[in-house]
This record gives sequence, structure tokens and C-alpha cells, in this order.
Amino acid sequence: MSRLELRAIRKTYGKAERETLKGIDIDINSGEFLILVGPSGCGKSTLMNAIAGLEDISQGAIVIDGTDVTTLEPRDRDIAMVFQSYALYPTMTVRENIAFGLRIRRQPKEEIDQEVQRVAKLLQIEPLLDRKPSQLSGGQQQRVAMGRALARRPKIYLFDEPLSNLDAKLRVEMRTEIKRLHRRLRTTIVYVTHDQIEAMTLADRIAVMKDGELQQLGTPKEVYETPANLFVASFIGSPAMNFIPVTVQKGDRGLHAMVKSDSGETIDLPLPLALSAYENKEIILGVRPEHITQIQAHKEGQPLVARGRLTIEVTEPTGPDVIALVNINGIPVHCRIDPDHPVDPGDVAELMFDMSKTSYFDPATEQRITL
Amino acid sequence: MTEMVRKPFSFNRVLIYTVLLTAAAVYLVPLVVMLLTSFKTLGDISSGNLMALPTHWTMHAWHKAWSTACTGVSCEGVHHFFWNSFKMAIPAVLISTGIGAFNGYVFSKWRFRGSDLIFSMMLFGCFIPFQVILLPMAATLGKMGLANTTAGLVVVHVTYGVAFTTLFFRNYYVGVPDALVKAARLDGAGFFTIFFRIMLPMSVPIFMVCIIWQFTQIWNDFLFGVVFASGDSQPITVGLNNLVNTGTGVKEYNVNMAAALIAALPTLVVYVLAGKYFIRGLTAGSVKG
Repeated sequence: MSRLELRAIRKTYGKAERETLKGIDIDINSGEFLILVGPSGCGKSTLMNAIAGLEDISQGAIVIDGTDVTTLEPRDRDIAMVFQSYALYPTMTVRENIAFGLRIRRQPKEEIDQEVQRVAKLLQIEPLLDRKPSQLSGGQQQRVAMGRALARRPKIYLFDEPLSNLDAKLRVEMRTEIKRLHRRLRTTIVYVTHDQIEAMTLADRIAVMKDGELQQLGTPKEVYETPANLFVASFIGSPAMNFIPVTVQKGDRGLHAMVKSDSGETIDLPLPLALSAYENKEIILGVRPEHITQIQAHKEGQPLVARGRLTIEVTEPTGPDVIALVNINGIPVHCRIDPDHPVDPGDVAELMFDMSKTSYFDPATEQRITL
Repeated sequence: MTEMVRKPFSFNRVLIYTVLLTAAAVYLVPLVVMLLTSFKTLGDISSGNLMALPTHWTMHAWHKAWSTACTGVSCEGVHHFFWNSFKMAIPAVLISTGIGAFNGYVFSKWRFRGSDLIFSMMLFGCFIPFQVILLPMAATLGKMGLANTTAGLVVVHVTYGVAFTTLFFRNYYVGVPDALVKAARLDGAGFFTIFFRIMLPMSVPIFMVCIIWQFTQIWNDFLFGVVFASGDSQPITVGLNNLVNTGTGVKEYNVNMAAALIAALPTLVVYVLAGKYFIRGLTAGSVKG
């Protein structure tokens, strides 16, 4: 249980012209589950390797529990890591894999045996202890890899895309298991993934990265509901947030924006008064699919709710919802419709826009407009 | 397999087997002739057919080749040369393989500035013809005080072999995931611990490849043996040459054949014992974790 501070971390590789990390500042509280998420090449793995001490940084400091570890070797940082490829030692049994770090640290044999038993019980891998990694399934290897990390009781755990080699069903199971383990052990975890659903479901806080820069750091709810910029808004959420460029206009009942359906009908979308600074200017509406739905009676008459008739182009039933594709201002827009209100491709359906949860972005800076 | 059995006896199959069997026969005939000749008496050889079985099977030629045949001035057979070759080959194989493993580990897992350049330069060593280094090597061995000794031959073969063994191990270790090394570093293992506890235990197949390759190369070498060794340090290849070329009067073909077979035996044995690893090691792309 330890606090990890990343202070203004910069990294430039040898002859590269561009920086891989452009000043990352994150404070990770003791016992916190932080997820680093971003597209490939965003620098999240480099940052993780830097925390582990496997790669040097060009500038900045890494501080664990108040001690600057920036120049320390990996073994002296007291960090354990779970790798995407599991990286189990192929010639050793599961027991030897888990015990390896303890043996290197010359702990007494009885203590090592006890620790191996504790970890094996925790992860339910006791029957596998005398097998070689090649005799295990992917999920079992994953458990052993976690066991190896848990055995040393290090200060900080790093997970580098640990679930991406598992099949879909197992991935969901292990996700729950990791969350349960974290609730039970309350350890400090930094977890790298490119899967935004993993990020949303596991994290206490999410750090969204792009091109070596931290885009937003916040709870899953904050990142989902109030994304800091267009990138975060598009990266988090599936199907992604819809972006509709509009011009803010002043009308009798306050601010509004006019959009056109594919059949040329005009839909009048109400906007909050706080946007008055943007009157007659262009902004980008960020509307999540679940805020464009079938008509919901209980929302009728609320201030930021509008209706519009739109042609359904494609429907994708997911089970709990039907994702329908429509066209607004010539831009494809996803809506989330209750399967009890059947719609078919080609239908013209009356849909409800709930603008109270909409995000607004400045088209020039691509940043969120705070109201 | 059952499906194969049920297949009709096709023309193609007959053709394939005919070609394969013919090829095998062509390659085996010299060995058969050598074996048969080595068990014949001289009279049998001069009167009979090359492929005919001995009318009287005898080990006489083998005995003579081993312990009494003349190789130059001495007449003690090739057994001294045979053991000389072992004294030279075993240390040379082990040392060059060991250095190759260590080099390969560094070149694949601990790259440093310029390591690729140094590796390319080492590879260059694989393409240097033996003859080119004869004079400089002779001078070097002389300065080291190792001229005409088995230790000197070991030095030459290690120097020459390291280029190959480094290449073998480096290419094998490139297929080992870097994450293994990272995991071991986080577990607290250092440079040598990772090499001895993680890398070496998973290197059995490539060790076999190196040992077979190096043993065959070093055992069969004639040029270095004849140039850098003399008298009681000469290897079997030189001994065989001396035996065949020493002769007054009748050519004892049976003794020559037996001596040649003695010279060839160790490499054959090594291949038979470790051959399956040779194929496996050459084809193994990577080690699955």
C-alpha cells in the first residue's frame, strides 16, 4: 500500500525527433486502482516501463512513498508487474515461478513455501503448482502471472494489458476477479489497457493518454460524462459519442440550434443559456447514443428535451438495446433505442433528444466548453 | 495414418519412393564399400569384387589401423591421433559454445550503443576463409607460446567457432520474449542470474545444434591441424593422412578404410545421439512461455 507520484515525466528515445512522453503528472493514492488508457503509441506502455525502472526517463521524477526512485534499478523499487504475454519462466514449475523473486531475495525456505501456498490459495491455482507453464491454459497462465506478482507483496503492482490475450468470456471473468482481488487486498495498482470498457469497469481513476500527453485524469464517471476534449469523448464509450457541429442561435425561448434530418426536416435543439458567449458561433455537440432514444413520456416537456423525425438507416440489436443509425446534417449518428419500440431500417421514427447531458466542444481548440 | 494406408497404390508414390531409395543407395554405397573392405584380407581385396562380401571376415585391418600401422616414422597406428582429437575438440566445443551463449545473450537481450555493429562484424568471421588467417595465427600462437600444442589448436578453433556459436545463440535468444528478462529483473535477478537461471535452462536445443556443429567442424578440420600442430599433438585427420600416405610397396586398402572409419566414427555417434535436437533446434522459432 503505497503512494506513487509521477512528476513531470518526459521521455525522448535516442534519435527520435518527437517526445514519447511530454510531461506526465499523476498522483496515485495508496490503494488506488489507476488505469492508463489510450490508443497504441500513446506512450502508456513507455510510462509503465518507466515506473517499473525498465526504461530510463529523460526528465522528471518518480516518487514512491516520498522516496525518489527515479535512478533506482527495478529490483530496488519493490514493484511487481503482470505482462501481456505473462512472461512465465518456461523451464520452471508454477511453484518455482511464484517463488523465484522470493528466492532471489534470499528469504528463508519456510517463508517462501508459506507465501506460495497463500498466493496459490488466493488465486485457486493449488492443483497447478507442480506443472510447467506450457501445460497450462491461457487463463491459468494469467493466474500464475498474477500469483508471481502477488507473492512478493510489493509496494505497487503494474498490469500491462494483462487480459488482451484471453478470449472474450475469460476476459470478463478475469476482469471481475482482478476487481475482487483489489477490493480485498487494497493494493496500489497501475493498469495499462487500450480497452475502454476495462478502464471504465476496473478503475478508481482513469488517465486517458494520447501522443504522450495526459488528456484527462478522473473517475470513470467524470471521464464518461464530462470528457475534457473531443479525443477523450470519442475514445471512451461504445458506440462512441456523436459529434454534431451546429451554430448557436438566439430564439424566443432561449438559445437553440437547428439541424436537418436527411429528408430535409428541421429539428430544433434547445441549448442551455450558459452558451450565450457562443451566440452565432459554431460549436460541436457531443451527444451520447443513449441520449437519442424513442419518445419517453416522463421526459416530455422538460426544458432541454426535443423531438425529431429521422429515417432509420441501419439497426444493430445488442440485446438490451437496439443501436440505430440515422443521419443528422449529413453526419451518421448512433441512437440507443429500447427493443420494445421496434424500429426497422427504412422507417421514419420520432426520436427524443435529451440535451441535458450533452457535452459542448469548441471546434477550434477541441476542448470542452465548461458551462 | 489409416487414411494413408487405404490410399490406392499410385504411380506418384512409386516414383517418389524409387527416387528416394536410389538417392539413399547412392549415398550409402561408399560407406558400404569402406565397411566391407575394412573387414577383408589384402588377398581378398586384390582378387575379389569391390562390392563382394569378404570371403574371410577379419578384424586384422582395424587392429592394425588402431595400434600398429605406420604414420610417418612411428608405427603405432592412429590411436594417439584419435585421443589428440578428443583433447582438442572437447574443450574447444565447450568453450566456444559457452562464449557463444553468453555473446548471444548480450546481443539479443542487453543491446548497447553499437551492439548491432559489433554483431555484424562478428558475423563477418563466419565468412573468413581458413587460409587467410594461417600466417597471422601462426605468429600469434608463437607469441602466446602455444605453437604446436593442443592448447594452441583449441585457441584457434574457439576463435573461429565463436562467430558461428554467437550467431546461433543470438538468433535463438531473439525469439525469447523480452518480457521474460523484464519479469526477472523486476523479480530482482541481475545480469548473470538471468543468464544462468532463466536463459541457459531453456537453451538445450540450441546447445545441441552448437555442439554438433562445432564438434563436426573441429573434428573434421585438417588444415589447422596440419599447420598449427606437430608430432604428439596432431589430430586424427592429420594422422589419417599420414597413414594413407606412408607406405612402401603394397597399398593396404583395408587398413586405410578402417582408419578412415575410425576417424569418422565420433561425428557419426554425436549426430545419432543428438540429431533429433539438431533438427528441432534449427526449426524452433521461439519458445512459448
